[in-house]
Amino acid sequence: MIGPFKTRRRPFAYPGEEIRLTGDTPSPRPTREPDASTKGLETGRLRLLVTACLFGLAFSVITGRLVQLMVLSSTGTSTVATPSEAPPLEARMARADIVDRNGLVLATNLPTVNLVADTRAVPERDLMRAIRVLPTLFPDLTSEELADRLVPGRAFVYLRRNLTPIEQQAVNDLGIPGLHFERAERRVYPAGRLVAHVVGATDIDNQGIAGIEDAFDDRLSSSEKPLRLSIDLRLQHAAHQVLSDAIDHFEAIGGAALVMDVHTAEVLAMVSLPDYEPEKIGEASEDARFNRATLGVYELGSVFKVFNTALALDAGLPLTDTFDAAKPIRIARFTITDFHPERRALSIPEILMHSSNIGSARMAMVVGPERQQAFLKRMGLLDPIPFELPEVGRPLVPQVWRDINAMTISFGHGLSVTPLHLITGVSALINGGTLHPPTLLKTDPATMPPGQKVFSEQNSMRLRAMMRLVVEGGSGRNADVEGYYVGGKTGSAEKQLKGGGYAKDSVLTSFIAGFPISDPQYVVLVILDDPKAVKGTYGFRTAGWNATPAAGRLIAEVAPLLGVTPTHHSPEGHFDATVIRQVGLKVEDGEDKHLAAR
Amino acid sequence: MRHAHEFSSPRLRRGELSLGEKFWQISWSLVLLVTLTGCVGLVMLYSAAGGDWEPWADRQAVRLMIGFVLMVGIAVVDIRFWIRNAYTFYAVVLVLLVAVEIRGTIGMGAQRWIDLGFFQLQPSEVMKLALVLSLARYYHSAHPDDVRRLPFLIPPALMTLVPFALVLKQPDLGTGLMLVAGAAAVSWLAGVRIWVFALAGIAGLGAIPVAWQFLHDYQKQRVLTFLNPESDPLGSGYHILQSKIALGSGGVFGKGYMNGTQAHLNFLPEKQTDFIFTMLAEEFGMVGGLILLSLYVILLIYGFAIALRCRHQFGRLVALGVSTMFFLYVFINIAMVMGLIPVVGVPLPLISYGGTALLNLMMGFGLLLCVFVHRDVQMGRRGGFDD
Repeated sequence: MIGPFKTRRRPFAYPGEEIRLTGDTPSPRPTREPDASTKGLETGRLRLLVTACLFGLAFSVITGRLVQLMVLSSTGTSTVATPSEAPPLEARMARADIVDRNGLVLATNLPTVNLVADTRAVPERDLMRAIRVLPTLFPDLTSEELADRLVPGRAFVYLRRNLTPIEQQAVNDLGIPGLHFERAERRVYPAGRLVAHVVGATDIDNQGIAGIEDAFDDRLSSSEKPLRLSIDLRLQHAAHQVLSDAIDHFEAIGGAALVMDVHTAEVLAMVSLPDYEPEKIGEASEDARFNRATLGVYELGSVFKVFNTALALDAGLPLTDTFDAAKPIRIARFTITDFHPERRALSIPEILMHSSNIGSARMAMVVGPERQQAFLKRMGLLDPIPFELPEVGRPLVPQVWRDINAMTISFGHGLSVTPLHLITGVSALINGGTLHPPTLLKTDPATMPPGQKVFSEQNSMRLRAMMRLVVEGGSGRNADVEGYYVGGKTGSAEKQLKGGGYAKDSVLTSFIAGFPISDPQYVVLVILDDPKAVKGTYGFRTAGWNATPAAGRLIAEVAPLLGVTPTHHSPEGHFDATVIRQVGLKVEDGEDKHLAAR
Repeated sequence: MRHAHEFSSPRLRRGELSLGEKFWQISWSLVLLVTLTGCVGLVMLYSAAGGDWEPWADRQAVRLMIGFVLMVGIAVVDIRFWIRNAYTFYAVVLVLLVAVEIRGTIGMGAQRWIDLGFFQLQPSEVMKLALVLSLARYYHSAHPDDVRRLPFLIPPALMTLVPFALVLKQPDLGTGLMLVAGAAAVSWLAGVRIWVFALAGIAGLGAIPVAWQFLHDYQKQRVLTFLNPESDPLGSGYHILQSKIALGSGGVFGKGYMNGTQAHLNFLPEKQTDFIFTMLAEEFGMVGGLILLSLYVILLIYGFAIALRCRHQFGRLVALGVSTMFFLYVFINIAMVMGLIPVVGVPLPLISYGGTALLNLMMGFGLLLCVFVHRDVQMGRRGGFDD
């Protein structure tokens, strides 16, 4: 039999055979079957060729591209980039220092080496020895951990970062092949936790992740010029010391302290406690990493009456206007009461001195909610503050500004702002009325932008006189540092509970002060979070007993450093005679400090 | 003139072959090549998992075996079965495509899969074969003069555009374009006149601005990124830059099996699916890449050769359609990973991890083998034997 079975002996066996077959046999068919369908097959044959050519062309393109990409193109990628040759490291070496306003180093770089292993190059016996011996050199490494990492055949394993020269020598002395050193650098912070929340920190790859390190990451990694901050390390130290002593003494859970130049709005010291070691930020708790001075927003309580008083002056109310503070105000389901009720009509200076909530609320209602909102907006208290740090909190502002809101905001509730908002606003109010954005960078007063006029010179003087009154005869007495003529305002706010409402036994106390208040140069702010009533405070936990004396101590420590000369101050020559009379300041700095306005 | 004997054998022409004879007729060299390419895929998937059968290589091996059985099974089925049921298959797959649209599984942002319980089926993949089969049948049954008439081309156009629209809606631009390109190739080889293609091409170009409006943001992004990948090196340009770096680092002979740093340190995304060619080229170098390309070229030559050897229009068109689809897989995938065309999700055939695509390709090769086995069968316009 021939026919079909013939193919059985020669099956289709090797690539391309059928091409040869067709090559042999194209001719018989057209003659054999010259019908219509073969005509279709013939055009198909030509088109098939065209398609095949197209496919071939496509494959040539792919092949060419493959050769180009894999062999010809030398786009700078070396085939094996060993870690020591990798260019980014060199770039990172240049991360700039951060210095304080006097040039003291706050952050710099230390060249170190990292210990790495190429286990392909480590002989078996040495591998076991490395696992055994390395933990004796580095107690933080364990043999189990090393055995896990030192698996044969791995080209690059980090064993330990940042070796000291002695440690490096010790590893060298082991003489184990395949253990290499990678050049590296470590960011170090000579001032440590003193500047934690200002400078921030970097991650393991020296990229900024908090504070100035984060905010100026590009600048620091692109320039070698040190970044000069407005911070004065001496003031920073004083603030840190005073605040941590106060927190210890009054058993507070945290706090913040700020010192600001009133004319330039430079932040000279900024402390938030608890804080962290910048080099160990990873181990710090969330609370420690939280910047209470700029990120935390709080209902600050009575210190806000400084703004309320300024609002009344700005609206043109005379100092002698009196407001009925005889009875608590009932509005909606709230009752507004005073902490130290006077039960009579009070003038504007008296309302500030006695810190009367009732009087403040009535003042605010006389001025009106719209005007209040506009004024606070002008003071920058309703928007996130423009500041260099990435950790900046957004104020919590009431959605609808009703009468009740206006009343509670007048004494510092129902509007949450950051401590930085407070100190910046008060700076502007007492420096003659010019608002500057706060800054952490050293500023030259000659070249700084002019600032925004928010308050009149005359009203600024009046407000300062009243702030002096608070220290002379009100709750600020414990901050009256002899010779520096301090003026300020206390604030004790019941803390808001998470679920709404206020805690009865947990407060946030604060004291903000300018000195010398006759011609202010600096503002200080001390805030204590949840201080307790301790021995010596007569059972009180209000600001006058904790934040105020702490602020006083801070002023006493920083004023000499700032070059403020202690002098015998008299209000005359600084304040108008009428203002002195209306406010009721002592004209002679006499013996009886408790006389005035009692 | 032993070939003359083959042609003149009435039994062969009638397709009266026993199962054993059919097995003998199968081009086992082609089967070997397909299996070999599939095994290259297994080797690469083993490497992609860092030297482990889990989680890809083992499952791919099972699919490869199932695919092998399917391929041989399809090859020995009488080709007249395929031509008779071509429209039925098409209809079934079209219904599945619509079903996907209504209640398909959503994966990776697109609605492409239908859950069959044991298997996640992607009807748009199967549609590639169904479309080739039904178009081949349509043109097979046509008189050559019919093909020159424009109204005659409306049914195949509809047959193509309906699934195209459905696939585009999923959205899966890559598969959609493959359907159109495959259909165009089949029509071209069936003898549709050139100016029809020119007209369709112009219409298509004109539709681009309109279509741009309907593209998803990620698709627009991919096109824009293709035009300038460095503009967004960490975003959508990331894939292609990493892929180019990997290729550049491979060199002539590569870094060695399982030593591709770009892939193994996970710089290379989707290394087990769309970017597996990059990993192969990184580890085996340009030589490895060229060898794989040669394998693909040989497979395509087989496809063309089988089409040439086939004596009926249906088989010829099926062989060319399957080959064209296969070529499109290869070309789109490799050109994409080398940054020649925008990123579209098309797997590398027989190599990339993925069930439907692999089984679909194996079934395609099954059809190719079937055409070869039945190359001399004479078929009437409806697939019957009318000598």
